[in-house]
Amino acid sequence: MTKFDYVRPSTVAEAVGLLEAHGDDALAIAGGTATVLLLQKRMLRPELVVDLGGLPGLTGVEQNGGGLRIGALTPIRAIERDATVRSSYGLLAEAASQVAGVRVRNAATVGGSVCFGEPQTDLPPALLAMNATATIAGSQGSRDVPLDEFFLGPYETAREQGEVLTHLSVPTPVPGSGGCHVKFTLGSPENKPVVNVSALVTVDASTGALADVRIVMGAVGGVPMLAHKANDTLKGERPSDALIAQAAARASEEADPIEDLRGSVWYKRRIIKVLVERALRCAIERAN
Amino acid sequence: MRDRASELKVVGVSRPSLEAERKVKGEPLYLADMDMPGMAHAKVLRSPFPHARIVSIDASEARALPGVVCVLTRDEVLADSTIDPYYGYVYRDVPIVAIDKVRHEGDIVAVVVAEDEEAAEDALELIDVEYDELPAVMDIAAALAKGAIQVHEVFKPIAPELRPIEGTNICHHSTLAKGDIEQGFREADHIFEDSYSAPAVQHCALELHGCIASVGDDEITVWTNCQSPFPLRTELQRMFNKPARVIVPYVGGGFGSKSRDRLEAVVVAAAKLAGRPVRLLLTQEETFQTFIRPALTCTVRTGVKSDGTIVARHHRFAVDVGAYSISGARSANNTLKVATGPYRIPHVLVECDAVYTNKPPSAPYRGLPTTQHTMAYETQLDRIANELGLDPIELRMKNLLVEGDVHVTGDLLRSVHAKDCLEKVTSSLGPQFKGEAKASNGTIRGRGFSCSIKYTITPSEPTLATEAEVELQEDGLFEIRIGTVNMGQGVDTMAAAIGAEAVGVPIESVRILHSDTALVPQDHGTTASRATFHTGNAVLDAGTKLRAELLSTASDLLEEDEDRLELSAEGVAMVGSSGRSVSFTDIARHRGGSLSAKGECWVGGVYTDESGKEYPIASTFWTFGSVGAEVEVSRETGEIRVLRISAAANVGKAVNPEQTKAQLEGGVTFDLGPSLFERLVWGDGGQLMTSTLMDYPLPTLHTMPEFHVDLLEFPYDQGPYGAKGVGEMGGVMVPAAIINAVYDATGVLFHEVPLTPETVLAGLEAAEA
Repeated sequence: MTKFDYVRPSTVAEAVGLLEAHGDDALAIAGGTATVLLLQKRMLRPELVVDLGGLPGLTGVEQNGGGLRIGALTPIRAIERDATVRSSYGLLAEAASQVAGVRVRNAATVGGSVCFGEPQTDLPPALLAMNATATIAGSQGSRDVPLDEFFLGPYETAREQGEVLTHLSVPTPVPGSGGCHVKFTLGSPENKPVVNVSALVTVDASTGALADVRIVMGAVGGVPMLAHKANDTLKGERPSDALIAQAAARASEEADPIEDLRGSVWYKRRIIKVLVERALRCAIERAN
Repeated sequence: MRDRASELKVVGVSRPSLEAERKVKGEPLYLADMDMPGMAHAKVLRSPFPHARIVSIDASEARALPGVVCVLTRDEVLADSTIDPYYGYVYRDVPIVAIDKVRHEGDIVAVVVAEDEEAAEDALELIDVEYDELPAVMDIAAALAKGAIQVHEVFKPIAPELRPIEGTNICHHSTLAKGDIEQGFREADHIFEDSYSAPAVQHCALELHGCIASVGDDEITVWTNCQSPFPLRTELQRMFNKPARVIVPYVGGGFGSKSRDRLEAVVVAAAKLAGRPVRLLLTQEETFQTFIRPALTCTVRTGVKSDGTIVARHHRFAVDVGAYSISGARSANNTLKVATGPYRIPHVLVECDAVYTNKPPSAPYRGLPTTQHTMAYETQLDRIANELGLDPIELRMKNLLVEGDVHVTGDLLRSVHAKDCLEKVTSSLGPQFKGEAKASNGTIRGRGFSCSIKYTITPSEPTLATEAEVELQEDGLFEIRIGTVNMGQGVDTMAAAIGAEAVGVPIESVRILHSDTALVPQDHGTTASRATFHTGNAVLDAGTKLRAELLSTASDLLEEDEDRLELSAEGVAMVGSSGRSVSFTDIARHRGGSLSAKGECWVGGVYTDESGKEYPIASTFWTFGSVGAEVEVSRETGEIRVLRISAAANVGKAVNPEQTKAQLEGGVTFDLGPSLFERLVWGDGGQLMTSTLMDYPLPTLHTMPEFHVDLLEFPYDQGPYGAKGVGEMGGVMVPAAIINAVYDATGVLFHEVPLTPETVLAGLEAAEA
């Protein structure tokens, strides 16, 4: 670790001010589960560490009119265990429960997981599948960014250096919806995913057709990726084995995985196909 | 000594490790807990290249940084005429810090000593090294290619058995032969030939490598977690021309990665330059660059009769010893003895090449490379069985070694019972499914079995005898002093049980002092499943002698014949109810405050059977065992789940049965990772890609199968109370059993590990195509 100054601001405005003033020399940290490792390896060498952990009002989840408001400092473990999240936003709770191990989930925050922009992680695909919006505070006030515009590339997000993510808003799924998150790892299920898939579907109770489908693939490109072709294949159709297989094949084709230590492009495409099928079957069953 | 084997009171009783409670409470100090007055902290500058000449090193800016005590480079080492800059037990090929060139990524170029680790890390960035990059040979094939660059231009062997091939990267070539291999193949009805490979992996012991050194005017003191303190002491004394003391506290796992030293001479040189104690603790990333299990390739050619009788076996293998042959060449050479497995084969030829490459140095890896040999010959046996229409279990039963057979080395084998081990695992797991496995949910199950034979290290030089002392002290307790390292394997408890049994006192009456070269007698090292046999025998010898002394002294004091005396927890008493006795404390005082005896275990030479015929001793004992595995294979993803493992070994006598079972379970667990997903991967530039545990998955609870472990106890006449070593036995058969189980399930026989999901899926699809 290189030497740095440390400050723990007590308001969002103060944090924003510090981050804006110090620019690239400042590092914002929350749970620190990723950033502290990088500090230890000297891969991050900030002059100032801005610890967001003391900011008030950014911890916890709250159900309001149209949806769920998740404070950026909420531990991932709390999402996994919150009764409201589990009953009405089950996809989020399921994805949260698959992030690393329980000790990491106790420390890591939802906001940190989103702002780190890592392609191989579980919460962002689920949040994107649920059509979440990020609220970011800056010196000019707050702005809302839909999650499909938030992730720009590996470790790169729409949050600017002088900004702080304050909360995420997740619309309540309409009745007849079901979600599922599946992850494929090498070795322990606590390891980073080779690939993962989040699926949220809405089944029209009268026709049995899929009124809406949002399949998101993780770890198959620089950012969580909506499987547009697969979603379009399914929308308005009654799900069948053949249709699900067809959609999974399309998802596998539109994914853009890279070859790395976790697998070749060929293998990752094969696993995406398997995971999309599994997630769809599970989500449809839950929707019914 | 009278035969008390039938009335053992301490040996054979299961008990927790003596130190378990203290460890759970966090009381014992491990290396990283230790602090010394005036201690400074070291960090290492490592080569970014796998192979390069060092043009220049400028450390002047680093030396000027506040908090920096000194910087050790080749200049300081070469300037000190009292130091030999090279070390090694097999080849004297390892420089303290790189001198002419670096030979692997992570090779040690310089050492910064500073007031704290942060200052040392800051200083590392200020050292300016100019490299002249050289082509690197990153695997066996590249290193053996015609015209390949030499990792070492000059061979410097010091062990007499080494046979390097000048002008190549082969630092050792050796063979072992029996019968006439050509004749054997002429007698065969069928000949099978297969090639196999296994990549480099790392041991990933919980405690990382580290060392503290202090250099005084008259003595060097080293605190380290090395598995072999006495050979280390000898080497340090030679290099630094000064008496040395090596102290090894409890070690948090070694598995061979700490069997030989890499850091100690570096830290001693740094401490000498600094003029104060210096501590170096490695990170996980650095351990990947310090010692690894070498990659291995082999080709096995086997001749069999139509009824399955094996008549000839030609086993050729090459071991990637890495940049320095710290123990790689000798380990490779040792496994010639077991490369053909636990089978009676009349015509045998084994050929071994140990090859220098630009990978980090290799170290033994819990049985290495017995594991890879077993993987090769056992999976080929299943192929032979399949193609000849024979049952794989019966094929093994037909060929397994039995009591009184002469091994390929010429050794007369006793306490074999290999067939009993195989019978045990098949009865506890059930036979192979023979293609009847039921597929469900896209998964299919299979069972596979493997057998193996493991040697121990048997030095023949008398200076390497294992010694032990047992001393009655004035408080009436018995101190057992051993050179063996306690790395969590239960060695203190084993030595205490054997010592207590030999003396004739309860285990509560003994305490253990271990692995401080100034306080305990010598031992060759805690490796190769040696401790129970060698240390156990030395303790038995010392305890037996001390018991005789106790009885003799008590006989004088009580004025009674020795055969009318018996030992209790408190002292020596007359048989019967006369009440006359003398306490251990009084016996100690009578003998001047203490009473001790020294024991030893000599090995090597020849074994003479009852008829007077002599047999060479290539290994002072041989351990036999079997493993069975049941797996579930996903046809969708290629994932393998190991559902059940059954393991059995003939341990001679289990000194502490539950701990012995745990050793077998631990061995199996250890090799699940390399069987299923562990592997070190280097990129095109020779840089390690799997450099952290994020990219190098390890087994977790999720990987664990259901275990069934059987101990067979057919006493070995030379072992303490009949015991043999078993620490490595569980793991060496695991890859073979898993590969055979996948073969049983899918009909596809793999020739490599790890069986990652991708490897398996690709293999299944290739077979279907």
